[in-house]
Amino acid sequence: MKLDDIARELGLTELTPKVTGDREAEIERGYASDLLSDVLAHAPAGGVLVTLQVHLNVIAVASHAELAAVIFAGGRRPEHDVCVKAIAEGVSLYVSPADTFDVVGRLSALGVKGNHA
Amino acid sequence: MTPPAIVERALAEGLGMIAVCDHNSTLNSAAVQEAAGARLCVLAGMEITTVEECHVVALFPDAEAAQAAGAEVGATLGQVDDGYEAFFGEQRVLAADGSERARETLALATATPLDVDAAVRLVHDHGGLAVAAHIDRRSFGVIGQLGIFPADAGFDAVEVSRHVAPGSPDEAQFAVHGLPVVHSSDAHFQCDIGAARTFVHCERPTFAELALAFAGARGRSVGDA
Repeated sequence: MKLDDIARELGLTELTPKVTGDREAEIERGYASDLLSDVLAHAPAGGVLVTLQVHLNVIAVASHAELAAVIFAGGRRPEHDVCVKAIAEGVSLYVSPADTFDVVGRLSALGVKGNHA
Repeated sequence: MTPPAIVERALAEGLGMIAVCDHNSTLNSAAVQEAAGARLCVLAGMEITTVEECHVVALFPDAEAAQAAGAEVGATLGQVDDGYEAFFGEQRVLAADGSERARETLALATATPLDVDAAVRLVHDHGGLAVAAHIDRRSFGVIGQLGIFPADAGFDAVEVSRHVAPGSPDEAQFAVHGLPVVHSSDAHFQCDIGAARTFVHCERPTFAELALAFAGARGRSVGDA
């Protein structure tokens, strides 16, 4: 499933429309965690992260873990500088009003898998 | 733990300076300072829980600055509800003789809405020093919560728990941020006091000297005995 399709299906608000990454890339894997050390250790490359953390370090961690996108759950919006860094790093950012459980459930229903599926 | 008991234990452990750092509160600092008198330097501090669930240890120049910072942090917290004390314990505000003055009704065990940068700013605004607490721990340390040390936050020092031995390779990995590494007991019980300690090369045990040591200024430093 492509990022644009995921965003449409989940009703996500995109924060980084200027990201010029590979919009056609298939998102096959996902990860959910608020501990960024855990994200660094376990998030799948090319995948999508669902998190509550909106600290600037999310972008450094997402970039290092080679994540394609981050979905901030619970309607949490990062500061502007986080979006600027994300655009520079080519990481797409989205906000969902739904909480983490619901976002992950809907991603799963769309066929996005976790590490052990 | 009562102010007199804390002071006696610290003196018995041979400590020259301690900091009182209740979670999100500074209400007990002055009482411990009073109990210590001139026998022991007691810094008024606070352990702030940020919105990312990182712990930031704040050390203030005096009780007044601490109270002002504590009031600012307290204004962000909600009230305790039924069952809070049963789970988190009693939040007693003590006098210098150990008697109970009041019960704090703010939910000190919860996270504040302050992010790490804002917490460090708040501490600095009140003339304090901001220390990234127990950065070796997986929970509530800035590296555990944020994955990477937030170099731009403006911390004055990093703290490691008693599980990291001074001079060990473990300690060396936390010195890479260019900040002094302090060892603290993070004592939650009287018997923990002195379980870890930091050697500070300075003229006398005061906040001002500690600030110089953190900055590595005028020959002061933090490090080996």
